[in-house]
Amino acid sequence: MVAAPASIAVVGGGIAGFSAVRELRRHGYAGELSLVDPAGLPYDRPPLSKAFLAGTLDRLRLQLAPGQWYADNRTTVIADTVDKLDAGNGTEAPVLALASGRELAADAVLLATGARARRLPLPGMDLPGVFTLRSAGDAQALQAYLDADAHLVILGAGLIGAEVAGTARGLGAAVTLVDPAELPAASAVGVDMAGYLHHLHAVHGTKYVRGAAAAVTGAGKSLLVELADGGTLRGTAVLVAAGSEPETALAETAGLSVDGGVLVDAAGRTSHPRIFAAGDSSRRIGPDGVPGRRFEHWDAARRTGEAAAAGMLGVDPPAEAVDWFWSDRYGVHLEVAGSMAVPGRTVLRGEPGAGFTAFRLGVDGILAGVAAVDGGTAVRAARKLIESGRILDPGLLRDPGTDLRRLARGKP
Amino acid sequence: MSEGIRVADVDEIDEGEALTVDAETAGTADDIAVFHSDNGRFYALNDTCTHEDASLADGWIEGDEVECPIHSARFCLRTGEALCLPALINTKAHRVDVRDGGVWLYPNVSPLDA
Repeated sequence: MVAAPASIAVVGGGIAGFSAVRELRRHGYAGELSLVDPAGLPYDRPPLSKAFLAGTLDRLRLQLAPGQWYADNRTTVIADTVDKLDAGNGTEAPVLALASGRELAADAVLLATGARARRLPLPGMDLPGVFTLRSAGDAQALQAYLDADAHLVILGAGLIGAEVAGTARGLGAAVTLVDPAELPAASAVGVDMAGYLHHLHAVHGTKYVRGAAAAVTGAGKSLLVELADGGTLRGTAVLVAAGSEPETALAETAGLSVDGGVLVDAAGRTSHPRIFAAGDSSRRIGPDGVPGRRFEHWDAARRTGEAAAAGMLGVDPPAEAVDWFWSDRYGVHLEVAGSMAVPGRTVLRGEPGAGFTAFRLGVDGILAGVAAVDGGTAVRAARKLIESGRILDPGLLRDPGTDLRRLARGKP
Repeated sequence: MSEGIRVADVDEIDEGEALTVDAETAGTADDIAVFHSDNGRFYALNDTCTHEDASLADGWIEGDEVECPIHSARFCLRTGEALCLPALINTKAHRVDVRDGGVWLYPNVSPLDA
């Protein structure tokens, strides 16, 4: 075991950065700990498209921990922006140059810089009333445009687009979703679950337009979305929900290896011995040396933050877990684990409103993924089944009488 | 030390399952979840997750941890420590004994003092 660094600076107060701080102290780390984020105290982002946007959860309740928690855990939260990371040669401590002019040296640095909303290279993206959604400030700005007289045009029908559509409909706004896909999210949740989720838009009065935006024009609350096929859509506001891009600028200027994310190993180590990375901005190199997918979900941020904390302390990282995410729209709770896109077959169980679950079995008969709506702990049990690598009887999975928890525990 | 309550026969709670003892019976502020883990041991914690309103008795029980059924916060079954987000606040652990084929709960008695 290597000696723990005397001081650690965490850049970014999302789930990855906060989880790393917490895990460091849980491991008994006694050194100096700072967390730098322009927003100050870390806050949770999943509610930004749901309860916070709807106005039912206030800003204070978004915080991951009250201010006192940081005092209790001897963590200095610095509300500032890191302009530059001077990595040094590995012998001396890296130095963070902050926008305020201050410099912060730390023996180890964790980059948990997250991702930014992808912008579309189209005219009109800077017009007032055209939004992206990534921060609490973004959500507040969008919220001011959402009322019963609003007509929100959402460009992109992925998780954020679909969730905001549900929230905006709940606020009484008219909503039009625009996406080139015939069936959005089919690769993420599987065709069957994607079909069910897509159908919810029509049920709840969200109009779906298959197409791509070419430009936004207009002024004030009279905006016009011009489509590539020549069609037009009127709206009072436009949300661009076109996915995310990793924030890797600090890592790049510091000379770290970056390829669609800051490249890290299982313990969050980058190509520099004193610098670690976790969360949305990082991309894990697999045991085979090949960079894997960049995961952008809450649970992945938590797990990689905890793994980087272990890496900085030179202890074994926590056991790996299968990828898992959730989404809420129109009062329906979706959970997905593993991959629904591997070659193989899908087995369906239950029906919407009664434990509707899609299992994806690989050609080898091993469970690769699961997607369920309002499934309680069924997905948790299925995660266990995925991790077990067992070959499963499709008939057993299809039968609503099968207790998945017992099956996951290897019981009859 | 408070009186123990015989809450179940040992074979009434399958491994990986839990039962709840209501607050009135336990004489506590919150209901108590009594867990039979897959490691064969019995544990007890306050039933309500410290993050949001959810019953830990419905959670995923494995080794000396339980995972909340709603947002997957994990708690240590031995100590009640909140192990990961979204829970931040520890919960309370209670002593459980197994004797005479029964599961005995000691509300408000720390298992660590046993």
